[in-house]
Amino acid sequence: MFSQQAQTLLVIEDSDEDFAAFERVMHKASSFQKIYRCTNGDDALDFLRQTGDYTDIANAPRPGMILLDLNLPGTDGREVLEEIKQDATLKVIPVVVFTTSDNPRDVEGCYQCGANGYVVKPIDLKKLTKTVQVIVDYWFEANTPPSLAGDRNEPNSTDCFNRR
Amino acid sequence: MTFSTGTSAQLGELTQYARELVRTPGTIQPHGVLFVLQEPQLTILQVSQNIFELIGRHPQELLNQSLETVLDAQQLDMLQNCLLKDFEGINSLKISIKNKEQLLSFDGIIHRQDGVLLLELEPNQVQQSSNFFSFYHQTKSSIDQMQKASTLQQMSQIVTEEVRKVTGFDRVMIYRFDAQGAGVVTAEDKEDRLNTLLGLNYPAFDIPMEARELLILNSLRFIPDVDQVPTPMVPIDNPMTQRSLDLGKAILRSASSCHLEYLQNMGVKASMTISLVRDRQLWGLIACHHYSSSKPLPYEVRTICEFLGQIMSLELGTKADHEDREYRIKLQSLQPEFVQSLTQADNLLTGLVQSSSNLLQLVSASGIAICWDDEITLIGQTPQLESVQALLTWLEPQISNNIFHTNELPKLYPAAASFQTSASGVLALAISQARKNYVLWFRPEVTQTVRWSGDPQQNSDPKIGEMRLSPRKSFELWQEIVRNTALPWKPCELEAVADLRSVIVGVVLRQADELARINVELERTNNELDAFAYIASHDLKEPLRGIHNYSSFLIEDYADILNEEGVAKLQTLMRLTQRMEDLINSLLHFSRLGRIELLLRNTDLNQIISQVESVVKISQPDTSIAIHIPRPLPAIYCDPVQINELFTNLISNAIKYNDRSEKQIEIGYLTMAELPEQNPISKTSTSVLVLYVKDNGIGIRAKHLDSVFRIFKRLHGQSHYGGGTGVGLTIAKKIVERHGGKIWVESIYGQGSTFYFTLAG
Repeated sequence: MFSQQAQTLLVIEDSDEDFAAFERVMHKASSFQKIYRCTNGDDALDFLRQTGDYTDIANAPRPGMILLDLNLPGTDGREVLEEIKQDATLKVIPVVVFTTSDNPRDVEGCYQCGANGYVVKPIDLKKLTKTVQVIVDYWFEANTPPSLAGDRNEPNSTDCFNRR
Repeated sequence: MTFSTGTSAQLGELTQYARELVRTPGTIQPHGVLFVLQEPQLTILQVSQNIFELIGRHPQELLNQSLETVLDAQQLDMLQNCLLKDFEGINSLKISIKNKEQLLSFDGIIHRQDGVLLLELEPNQVQQSSNFFSFYHQTKSSIDQMQKASTLQQMSQIVTEEVRKVTGFDRVMIYRFDAQGAGVVTAEDKEDRLNTLLGLNYPAFDIPMEARELLILNSLRFIPDVDQVPTPMVPIDNPMTQRSLDLGKAILRSASSCHLEYLQNMGVKASMTISLVRDRQLWGLIACHHYSSSKPLPYEVRTICEFLGQIMSLELGTKADHEDREYRIKLQSLQPEFVQSLTQADNLLTGLVQSSSNLLQLVSASGIAICWDDEITLIGQTPQLESVQALLTWLEPQISNNIFHTNELPKLYPAAASFQTSASGVLALAISQARKNYVLWFRPEVTQTVRWSGDPQQNSDPKIGEMRLSPRKSFELWQEIVRNTALPWKPCELEAVADLRSVIVGVVLRQADELARINVELERTNNELDAFAYIASHDLKEPLRGIHNYSSFLIEDYADILNEEGVAKLQTLMRLTQRMEDLINSLLHFSRLGRIELLLRNTDLNQIISQVESVVKISQPDTSIAIHIPRPLPAIYCDPVQINELFTNLISNAIKYNDRSEKQIEIGYLTMAELPEQNPISKTSTSVLVLYVKDNGIGIRAKHLDSVFRIFKRLHGQSHYGGGTGVGLTIAKKIVERHGGKIWVESIYGQGSTFYFTLAG
């Protein structure tokens, strides 16, 4: 029932250790997700726009969901979020912020920018496993993601729900 | 004419009358002759009656004749020539007239008045003909000396000596007027046998207004013989105008009988005065008295004296300025010191107080009041604080251009009578009237002894007419003690004070700039603190998480290789990272607590306690907790979220550090009256209520009472009493302080602790 595209996950995360831990628990939680990783904001935006190193569409499919760390080298996670949510094509992709910061200002700001979720990274591996499981269960099983076939939503449409 | 009653209308009439009387006496002094001539024929319109005594011709035989009948053709030509030019520069004319067989020589002085020509002839007893070089010779050394004099006083003394040397008067004085017109003798040269008049004061009415006007008009006034009977003009009135001729500019004009009587009363036989004028105001006089006899004085000699008087008038400005300048330089030298001390001080008030000795020096005052934002600082000799406050209220509306000054405060402000000894003079400088920032300088009363020549009060009494017309008879020394008066504030002192204001305003502006800069800096540091908090929350936690996770990986992936001890050590490692995270989180929370805005509202503390109680009891279902509230708690204006946290922390502590099976907690409040004697809040504190949380726990040793509020300070080991980061009481203290309150603890070790706090907000 899910397209290949919808099951693709993009993780934007600069910390190798955090990504390793995430991959590890992800692997336990679900075996069929294809996970792509970008280590900084510019790289992530290239990936999403299929520019720069990612002109070969096969290497850069549209992800069904984005997990976004806020503290990134170069273009910051907050800017990446803003770019995504201002892009008519990309804004439909669910973005879940996955960060260490529990600063209320960050939480508020991310939702203002249109984040679809905000999860604070737990320090404990057991808690991490549980958290990742919840994310996978919700976003890839309970939730129905938008189709990203491309024809049905006209780019630059100001009508969010495409009423005709 | 009599003046029996005095009204202002009559005073006006009197002044007019007196002016006419002084300027148009209709008579001249009998030592010379006056012709009143009509141009161009030089027809004699009037002539003084004494003409017969001086040149042997009767007035009647001369009237309506041309002057030809008196002067020969050559002299007449000379006179006619003079009339074509500016004859000020030509006076006097050497004129000789034949009386019978005797050739008489005269000095002739001419001037025009009311359309007629006045020719005055004075017998010239000195036969030698004077010329420019003798004049130059006589005046040069005097002028040199005057210019070399460094002070006004020295110059005054030199002038009296020089004038006396040239004239031979018994006494020559410099007589200086004050602002009210009273005179004081400031320099004197005299015959040894005479008593000194130096330092004597003469009341203003000794020289009436109209006489002063004439002194400016005619800078030399000469009365060679006080006892001479004036000779009338024939006819008495000017036939052209039918009025008595204005003799204001005539050298021979007879003195008023009043003035003559005044001189006679002083024992003066002959008098000469030379006006000293500064900025067109009569500054003073060179006054010459002769007592032994009448005193004829040639026109040339008088001219020399007049010239010296003019030089002195010119020098007055420079000499006075010079004296001022030295004082001013001294005052200006204080300015940089002010700038320095005001800039270096923590605030302006402190700076002013610190430079009080300079402030006193600046205007030679003996006391200062610095009034700064409703706070008054008194330095030196000043009135009492309440008096200064009252004075300030009276003073404020009087200040114009930021300055008010008087040296006779009790006269203007009767309440000052109670402190006149310390402050008869006051100088107020407004730094900012809006903010009520003032500096007041005080000068004490100077009981000045003024030696009057005669009682100045004596004549000022009833009849205006008499006041003007009867000269003073008493010249006995009369001492007046002037009270309620301080030394006057000098113009340069007022300037110095105005300059001080500029200095202060400059410093204020600079401080405002500095404050703005500090504010920007503060904002920057606050932002940095935010950044720090973020770094703590993110960048420090990231590696911590890595350590933790990789330890987990080790345990999971190498379970078959690791023995029990290895696993235990990795678990310790993980526990430590967990604890590190707790500490970081506490620090973060504490840092946010200080910056988050308080949301104050009226809050029922009973409700707060019941919320906290239910949460605490739910989280520790196995613990027996009894919370007792002896009397209902009040409602308080506070931030309910923070106060909830405050009570949560205090109640949690009360439960945590408690060995008893039933944890008893009492929450209540005390009024100020109910407080024990020893408490850290003063009796004047605005807080009415002191709240407390009392437990039956383990208590705190006295030596630790101070440190329990310190961040991360724990009194027990990690494994005891449930661990913890040691931040709970620090946060409690922060919350109390943010509400403007105070928190403290009393404890009996082993029996329990009581935390007291106030919430002033």
